[in-house]
Amino acid sequence: MSDQQQPQLPPGWQATWDQNAQRYYFVHIESGTTQWEPPVAVAEQQPVTSPLPAGGPGGVHHARRRQYAAGQTQAYLGADAGMGYGQPPAQGAPGDGYGQAPVGQQGAQLFTPGLEGDQQLQLQQGQPQYYGQPQPGYADAGKPQHGPVDQLVNQFGQMGMGQQGQKPFQLHTVNLVGMPIDPRELLADPPEMRLPPGACISNNPMANADPSYQRCTLNAIPTTHSLLNKSRLPFAIILTPYRSLKETDDDLAPPVVSDTVIVRCRRCRTYINPYVTFTDGGNRWKCCMCGLANDVPQLFDWDQQRGQPADRWARPELNYSTVEFIAPSEYMVRPPQPPVYIFLIDVSYAAVQSGMVATATRTILESLDRLPNIDDRTKVAVIAYDVALHFFSLPPGSTESNMLVVGDLDDVFLPQPTDILVNLTESRAPLEALLGKLSDMFKDNHAVGSAFGPALQAGYKLASPTGGKIIALSANLPSLGPGALKNREDPKLLGTSQESKLLQPQSSFYKTFAIECSRSQVSVDIFLTGSGYSDVATVSGLPRYTSGQTYFYPSFNASRSEDAMKLAHELSTLLASPIGLEAVIRVRASRGLRMSQFHGNFFVRSTDLLALPAVPWDQSYAIEMQIEETLNQPFVVIQTAVLHTTSFGERRIRVVTQAIPTTQNISEVYASADQIAIATLLANKAVERCLSNKIEDARDAVMNKMSDILGAFKTNMTAAGSGASAQLSICDNLKLLPILLLGLMKHVGLRHSSQIPSDLRSYAHCLLTTLPSQLLIPYIHPCFYSLHNMPPECGTIGENGVIMPPPLPLTSERLERHGLYLIEDGQTMFLWIGRDAVGQLVQDVFDLPAYDQLRGGKATLPILDNPFSQRVNAVINKTREMRRTPYWPHLYVVKEDGEPPLRLWALSGLIMDRADQTPSYVQYLTQLKDRVSQGAGGDSWYSELNGAVRM
Amino acid sequence: MGGWWLFLFAVLGAAALLFTMVFFIIMFSDLECDYINPIDLCNKLNQFVLPEMIAHAILTVLFLLCGQWFTFLLNVPLVLYNANKVNKKNHMYDATEIFRTLGGHKRECFFKLGFYLLSFFYYLYRMILALIQESER
Repeated sequence: MSDQQQPQLPPGWQATWDQNAQRYYFVHIESGTTQWEPPVAVAEQQPVTSPLPAGGPGGVHHARRRQYAAGQTQAYLGADAGMGYGQPPAQGAPGDGYGQAPVGQQGAQLFTPGLEGDQQLQLQQGQPQYYGQPQPGYADAGKPQHGPVDQLVNQFGQMGMGQQGQKPFQLHTVNLVGMPIDPRELLADPPEMRLPPGACISNNPMANADPSYQRCTLNAIPTTHSLLNKSRLPFAIILTPYRSLKETDDDLAPPVVSDTVIVRCRRCRTYINPYVTFTDGGNRWKCCMCGLANDVPQLFDWDQQRGQPADRWARPELNYSTVEFIAPSEYMVRPPQPPVYIFLIDVSYAAVQSGMVATATRTILESLDRLPNIDDRTKVAVIAYDVALHFFSLPPGSTESNMLVVGDLDDVFLPQPTDILVNLTESRAPLEALLGKLSDMFKDNHAVGSAFGPALQAGYKLASPTGGKIIALSANLPSLGPGALKNREDPKLLGTSQESKLLQPQSSFYKTFAIECSRSQVSVDIFLTGSGYSDVATVSGLPRYTSGQTYFYPSFNASRSEDAMKLAHELSTLLASPIGLEAVIRVRASRGLRMSQFHGNFFVRSTDLLALPAVPWDQSYAIEMQIEETLNQPFVVIQTAVLHTTSFGERRIRVVTQAIPTTQNISEVYASADQIAIATLLANKAVERCLSNKIEDARDAVMNKMSDILGAFKTNMTAAGSGASAQLSICDNLKLLPILLLGLMKHVGLRHSSQIPSDLRSYAHCLLTTLPSQLLIPYIHPCFYSLHNMPPECGTIGENGVIMPPPLPLTSERLERHGLYLIEDGQTMFLWIGRDAVGQLVQDVFDLPAYDQLRGGKATLPILDNPFSQRVNAVINKTREMRRTPYWPHLYVVKEDGEPPLRLWALSGLIMDRADQTPSYVQYLTQLKDRVSQGAGGDSWYSELNGAVRM
Repeated sequence: MGGWWLFLFAVLGAAALLFTMVFFIIMFSDLECDYINPIDLCNKLNQFVLPEMIAHAILTVLFLLCGQWFTFLLNVPLVLYNANKVNKKNHMYDATEIFRTLGGHKRECFFKLGFYLLSFFYYLYRMILALIQESER
């Protein structure tokens, strides 16, 4: 009784404790029926002790005004009590109690004026009740009942209760073994954050950071390092501060503070945000991170445009978690630079023959209008290179361009000081003429070789005075001048422990050059379209440290329209996206927290300052945090500031503020852990481990982390404690973490295989470390839809655009021999067709008479005049559009009895299956279970934990 | 073989190495306090990495040539450690990784500092000993 919270029951019910099941069951006294679910009438039952305040109707009214949910339930009870005044409903159930209530709880049920007064006071202060355990959670019929531990959660949950009468924290434990996987849950929001009432001075729902901008692996941060250690959960934030806006998501651009009144803490330089407190009559504000009281500047309450006092509470920085400040000149080192784009185009034989030059120049030509160029300052240069460098002089006013060839590759120089980097608006005509004829100019070029390094140096020379973006397209392995690389691919090494050597850079040129670029604010994006070995591992070092991105198109051939389409789409999206130039990112956190590790594409310039020559859209960064001292405050604040120059010449600071409650309770730590963020972080760390150690070590590290978390959960949270158990339990909100990590271990970047070329691995590594969660999760856990039997509304336009079919668990058990399926991971899509597909289906989708005539491989589906074809096309198009991404996934048609490599590639997306050397999901769970049971025996940290738990 | 002049040279050498290490440590703490950016730091320190290793190697070889076996053996482990680092090409400081590896670098510098300090006093002692022997003769 004392250790189990017992629910409130309607009259006539009795709760009885079942020792075996460790939960209550409910008996209806009159009819004698029993049930596990709490009686439905409890749904609106007042959880507060006293059924009716002594103050009568007035009291009820009072309470109603103060506390929304409680007020409502009181009103309900008031009506109930009207029938039997003075007969508290719970009296019908003698076993009923309030968990913590003293012995004389019956007395407490009756009207005790003093007690009543207390409660009134509590209600007025919006504080939790001490006597009653508010348990609206029991209304959720069918949810698992609480274990002894959950009671603690409940108690603690109340402390964090907001004014709206939130549910107390509930830790639902699930058994992973035998649990069905529902991929839809991957789209769910992260666990709710419960900030203490009054933490935020704004009522705006946008006052705390949206997970797409910033999310934390723990939505309740343990107060001490040892508590964090005990949970074995990683602590990090995942950032995408500069993300694109998608109209379909009802996205709004962050509000802009345009009056250049930037209020910051004097000591820690925190920007003012919705979590500060105003003191001293609003003349001072207390910093939410360091606690220093700062003066509020006079202009803070002044509307400069209208010249009249303004409402402080309407200021965006006090209402929104994500805001942009327009920075005054103190935030500038030099006047805002214009956007500079330098195109390096490979015009060697291979590049021209593959059609890359034609596709790229056409795309650039078509995108000239989409380049950010609002104030006509944008500058552009084009350099073509093969075994020499071809510069183009584009004098404004003329319509022709002059080609200037530089053959000296060891000491690159610019052939003339002006007219190579030209203003886009002024030199539009010669530029268009050049782009129109570039591929024809070099169509008979037989030069074999690539002066990629010298071309980069030339681009750097052009861009370094202002900074800017170099977009380099290459179809060959760099072979001349500095930065020349050897073809070191050796199929014998693949799948062995030596493989990671191929994933490490072979030349230091791309790293040292990247540092120079970062210093001069030059960012490099690389498009690799080579048909052979391209050494992505080495070349990608350049985008990594200059905040660019590597794009890789293995065996690109523009004569396939899909290839041309993909390159054109991704290049033009990149060109059209606004860029933030000359950027630095600084993350500040409340006292006691420290940033320890940074993952992503940038250069770490100081212990907490990240330098990005240009912030690209939709790139994710992961920052690991440490708890250095005990956190005494009820919540902590983590604030990211991105100082950048917009493409229209404004210096701006984008500030993302996130407040996260703290907790001393380990079950709350578990119940608020965000599996998506954890998987994103571990993907970053695993890639790092691949490069520094071996791929095998990276997989082991992921596996160990998972078994660590499960082991710690078992010791801390379940009755089984340290002993062996048939169950593998984890809390509900982390139940998909094992499959996400299985997906990570089976991913192209980490999988054990001797078939994966190192280029593909390296490219996968680039994506794993830069994709934001929205893209990363499908990348490691693909989406799998059944199309032939999708519900009739799927593929048609619904309220939120095209309705997608329900995703299936990733197992080939779901593949039927007559079916049509879509497997997509955001980078590629596979349209799987079973060998017994009926002719009508093939006819409807592919416009072919029979399955035999269908060919596998890259394809574009025809849009036919029948509803099914249109629905399938709608689903495919929606898949390409629904995420914030520049990527345009290829569609492959895969026949069940088609070419084995393609078939196996498609099937590798079904990660719950057993593939040659990787375990199936069930086997993987068994492995985890064995590790968890074994670990309970010897390991030192386990015994430490056991000791801690017994205390 | 090996008179006082050898140890005088060694004392001077150890003092120079000692100062190099102090310089390294100061630079690292400057980096932590954000007084210097990692690119400048690495450019500066990398100039001294090889000279420091070579100077130490020369001292060691001198001890070997002069037949000071014990002193030679004292220095051999560090020479091997340095040679291994050069062989693996990770002796230079890398600006992109410096914050991740800073702790290790500092620990190494402190260790070397201690080693050079002890050898400094040892060489001094040996020098005085050699001088006394010389005057007695």
